[in-house]
Amino acid sequence: MSMVTAEHLHKTFGRFTAVKDTTFSIEKGEIVGFLGPNGAGKTTTMKMLTGYLPPTAGTACIAGYDIIDNPLEARRHLGYMPENVPLYDDLRVYEYLDYRARLKGICGKSVRQEIGLAIEKCGLEPKRKNLISTLSKGYRQRVGLADALLGNPDLLILDEPTNGLDPNQIRQIRELIRDLSENHTVILSTHILHEVEMICNKVIIIDQGEIKAADTPDNLTENLRAAGRVSIEYKGDLESIVQELEAFAPIKKVMTEECEDGWHRLLVRAEPGTDTREKAAAIITGHGYPIRHIYRHIPSLEDVFVEMTRRD
Amino acid sequence: MPPSLHIKGAQKIIDRTTSSLATLRTIYVKELSGYLLVPFGWVILGCTMALQGFILQAVLQVMTHATGNGVMYHMLDNLNFWFYFIFIFPLITMRCLAEEERQGTLEGLLTAPVTTTQIVMGKYLAAYTFYLILWLPMLTYPLASRIGNLYTEIRYGIQPEGLITYMLADWVGPYLILALSGAFFVALGIMCSALTRSQIIAAILSTCLMIMYYFMGRVTELWGEFPAAPIFHYMSCTEHVRSFASGVIDTRPVVLYLTMTFLTLALTKRIVDYRRWTR
Repeated sequence: MSMVTAEHLHKTFGRFTAVKDTTFSIEKGEIVGFLGPNGAGKTTTMKMLTGYLPPTAGTACIAGYDIIDNPLEARRHLGYMPENVPLYDDLRVYEYLDYRARLKGICGKSVRQEIGLAIEKCGLEPKRKNLISTLSKGYRQRVGLADALLGNPDLLILDEPTNGLDPNQIRQIRELIRDLSENHTVILSTHILHEVEMICNKVIIIDQGEIKAADTPDNLTENLRAAGRVSIEYKGDLESIVQELEAFAPIKKVMTEECEDGWHRLLVRAEPGTDTREKAAAIITGHGYPIRHIYRHIPSLEDVFVEMTRRD
Repeated sequence: MPPSLHIKGAQKIIDRTTSSLATLRTIYVKELSGYLLVPFGWVILGCTMALQGFILQAVLQVMTHATGNGVMYHMLDNLNFWFYFIFIFPLITMRCLAEEERQGTLEGLLTAPVTTTQIVMGKYLAAYTFYLILWLPMLTYPLASRIGNLYTEIRYGIQPEGLITYMLADWVGPYLILALSGAFFVALGIMCSALTRSQIIAAILSTCLMIMYYFMGRVTELWGEFPAAPIFHYMSCTEHVRSFASGVIDTRPVVLYLTMTFLTLALTKRIVDYRRWTR
């Protein structure tokens, strides 16, 4: 059974369409990264999944419970950390988590247990008695995360969990999320692509309210236009080499550039998923020309992101 | 077969009610401690007590001449009373939902397994409880006057007459009308707080509504009697306070305030949901 199924989710604010007829599903145990430029509809989609923003059309199911027909049951199965982590500044960390735990229907002895567990997982022990207003951004973020973890929900929805943190804190949060993935399904949004490459096993790219791609990071990068690109620097005759290279099947186009010191630079475009380095090197060295640089472009998620969301 | 199995459906309903009451209680306790564990509530309590003290001082002057009515009658049927009474409600309710929305914590509340009704009711009951607490210090007046009398007796050797006494008739009516009208006005304040994310705007709105309601009750004093005048008499909070404070307990205002409270709270729930839809 899918943990999340979104069916034709649609949201308009007045005349502005924030999310357009979005359908996707997320399986149990996946860590899904929502990617997209600012204002792409990531946060809106997440808010709809949590049931906070009612969709204009369409619906979604969380752990089999419809967010519109059965909102309370659906909410019992999710932990949500909103963007910028709104918290009650006049409470202490422990009091805040206590309040949240009770709101989530945890009662009796298990309250202390749950809070203890969340505090331990998020490394909040030294700050448990501090007023929330005195916490640094990193600790606030952790309180938000601890809050989402209370009650051990099946699904965690984290809106920009590493926003505004320093590199060390980002690493800690990342490791935490990776640990969580053993028992939880996680949806997170971010614009740090590197982060997604490191922890997510599924990426959903959203732009202008539409899903542009939903796949594993590997599959996404493999099918990229930039994937087969090779750059070569050599010394020797230009035209004959270009002709010979372009005659070779997977190579689509060869562009040339002149280096300052009389060497030639070739930019070879080929079919995605092919490696033309060996053949190209054989052709060039076959003429007895020296090669000083040959490099196959390894596509990153950044390339995917740019290609999917470019406006031209 | 044990009886619980016969009424399985009923058991389910009871369980659901218990758990939803537990959530309500959680919100109530948190909100009430938001009044009592921070300076905010104590400042309001202190100011209210100071104002009550000022009025008591004036009332004692009056009571040395006029007899027949208890101290509470004179405390409430008094223009000075309305002067601060109206401002209590915006002060204690302006934060409730407006601040929650401004901070963004409403999002956290509404994504937890909590219904809008529970949120509104929890906040309402907490604000109302705090409002009732504001009137508790007045219960000590007879005791304080007893102590004062004792002092006079010892110091000057005269036995003064007790002005302020614990007579049930003097206290039930006034406290009942304070509780009833307060129930409605607190609900009105909460509703204004649900309308906006700014505490100031919420406070201005509810003050405005409160003063308007107050003046509606005094329309007949300005215009005299006219065909529609009974409506204004019916909703006149000054008249209700006068009759209740003098010990006349009328059921019409009871119905008025209870229904108005209920309607205002129902509307507040609608407003909170509606604002979520349009955001």
